[in-house]
Amino acid sequence: MSETKRETVIEVRDLVRKFGSRTVLNGISFTVEKGDTMIIMGGSGCGKSTLLRHIIGSLRPTSGSIKIFGEETTTMSPQQMEKLRLRFGMNFQFGALLQSLTVGENVALPLIENSKVDPAIVDLVVKMKLELVGLTGFENLKPAEISGGMRKRVGLARAVALDPELLFSDEPTSGLDPIMTAVIDQLTMDLTQKLHMTAVVVTHDMASAFRIGTKMIVLGAGKRAGMIIAHGTPDDIRNSPDPEVQQFIRGEPDGPVPLKLAPEDYIDRLLGHDRDKGLSY
Amino acid sequence: MAALRQFLTLNAQILYWTFVAPFAGKPTVRIDAIFQQMVRIGVQAVPMAALTSLSIGLTLAMQGSHELARMGATSYVPDLLSITLLRELAPLLTGVVVIGRSGSAITAELGTMKVSEEIEALEVMSINPIRFLVAPRVIAMIIMLPCLVVFSNYIGFVGGWIICNFALDINTTKYIMRLIESADMMDLISGMTKSFVFGWLISVISCQSGLAVTGGAEGVGRSTTKSVVLCILVMLVVNAILTGMFFIIEGPKG
Repeated sequence: MSETKRETVIEVRDLVRKFGSRTVLNGISFTVEKGDTMIIMGGSGCGKSTLLRHIIGSLRPTSGSIKIFGEETTTMSPQQMEKLRLRFGMNFQFGALLQSLTVGENVALPLIENSKVDPAIVDLVVKMKLELVGLTGFENLKPAEISGGMRKRVGLARAVALDPELLFSDEPTSGLDPIMTAVIDQLTMDLTQKLHMTAVVVTHDMASAFRIGTKMIVLGAGKRAGMIIAHGTPDDIRNSPDPEVQQFIRGEPDGPVPLKLAPEDYIDRLLGHDRDKGLSY
Repeated sequence: MAALRQFLTLNAQILYWTFVAPFAGKPTVRIDAIFQQMVRIGVQAVPMAALTSLSIGLTLAMQGSHELARMGATSYVPDLLSITLLRELAPLLTGVVVIGRSGSAITAELGTMKVSEEIEALEVMSINPIRFLVAPRVIAMIIMLPCLVVFSNYIGFVGGWIICNFALDINTTKYIMRLIESADMMDLISGMTKSFVFGWLISVISCQSGLAVTGGAEGVGRSTTKSVVLCILVMLVVNAILTGMFFIIEGPKG
């Protein structure tokens, strides 16, 4: 690959996912190039995590295509998927650590199961990865014995244990203190800039998003639920003319996404729709 | 019907990871995981299995001697014990103990892992959950349930011996001789076959119920209850079928 035209790592086209009659993802298209940090933003329940689940292959879309490293994943067999997944790491929202194993064993798991390295080296890598997320010395604790934020960081250490080419992070900094947030952000930036890892991060944290993101998409709410309402570099998003995007990145309580229902609607919802039919009040 | 198909698929996957994958250069089922499960399912169930079968041995001998005394045949109590324990009660009751202790635990554990995204995390790490979680439990159960049944047989006989020796006029030597005389190889084979089949059914049904959990902590509870009920029902029905098969194979005993 030449320096000017970077390799496309993820290509999502016209992704649609319906759960019953509800459309959760409605025609999502974007590409992520090597070395990018793609930020996926949007209100709670707008389908960010669902989108991520489709990209990692846990869910199959209703229609549309997802290509990772040029390979179509929506029609892939489980065996092919297993092979492809060796090239990426996923940091789950709540860590998703195995409760029966210690912190150290959790980080070592992908190494032991997917590579044939010496136990001494596994031990060394585990220490290195835990050091990266600021958890030196926690190897022998069980996930139940550490805090939620720490579990999340162990999840990140496990996700990068095999030095993946592609890292997915589901809200990596929610619930972390400001210093730890900065540490995790710095780590993500180091991984993408120095090791040319590609990252896809779902986040609510605006400061962190604009710090680490090189590309962003914003998913809409209400009428535009499950659609991309803004797409581009952090500057594009910051200068977006879309009022909903502005409301979102500034964190304003009222705007295109209403704070409360209009008074008439509110009474309708409270009393059901038949208030003319003899409900006296 | 969908559940039956899932059950068969799960079996095929377990067979694949146990017997095919090691020769296809794929990662294998971890031996240490199997031993860990064997301790949990087998060794730790020993006290409970012992208490259960001791009580059953005692009860059987007492009830049997009551009935047989009317015909003046109390010396046949050991015969009654050996046949009922070896063929029916030891496999069934050990099965019930294992369903209650380990079957429910397997469903609850896998179910909790499912709802806390741990299973999904394993898949994303390219670690097959069937190989990593299900196969060790199934293998361990298929090995350990027959072991527990053999153990239960012995303890059941001890229970019978207590009654025969202290309440009836059958001394230890006579008791042992009558046991050996009355039991034939087919009794043991029939009981052991059952225990293998039960071990397989209990473990696979429990794992399948665990992996099928949806909907948080409530879902885990619901699935665990359903799985225990299903295991017991399936075990009783299959027990009747197997007894019927042995009945046909051997013909009515004369």
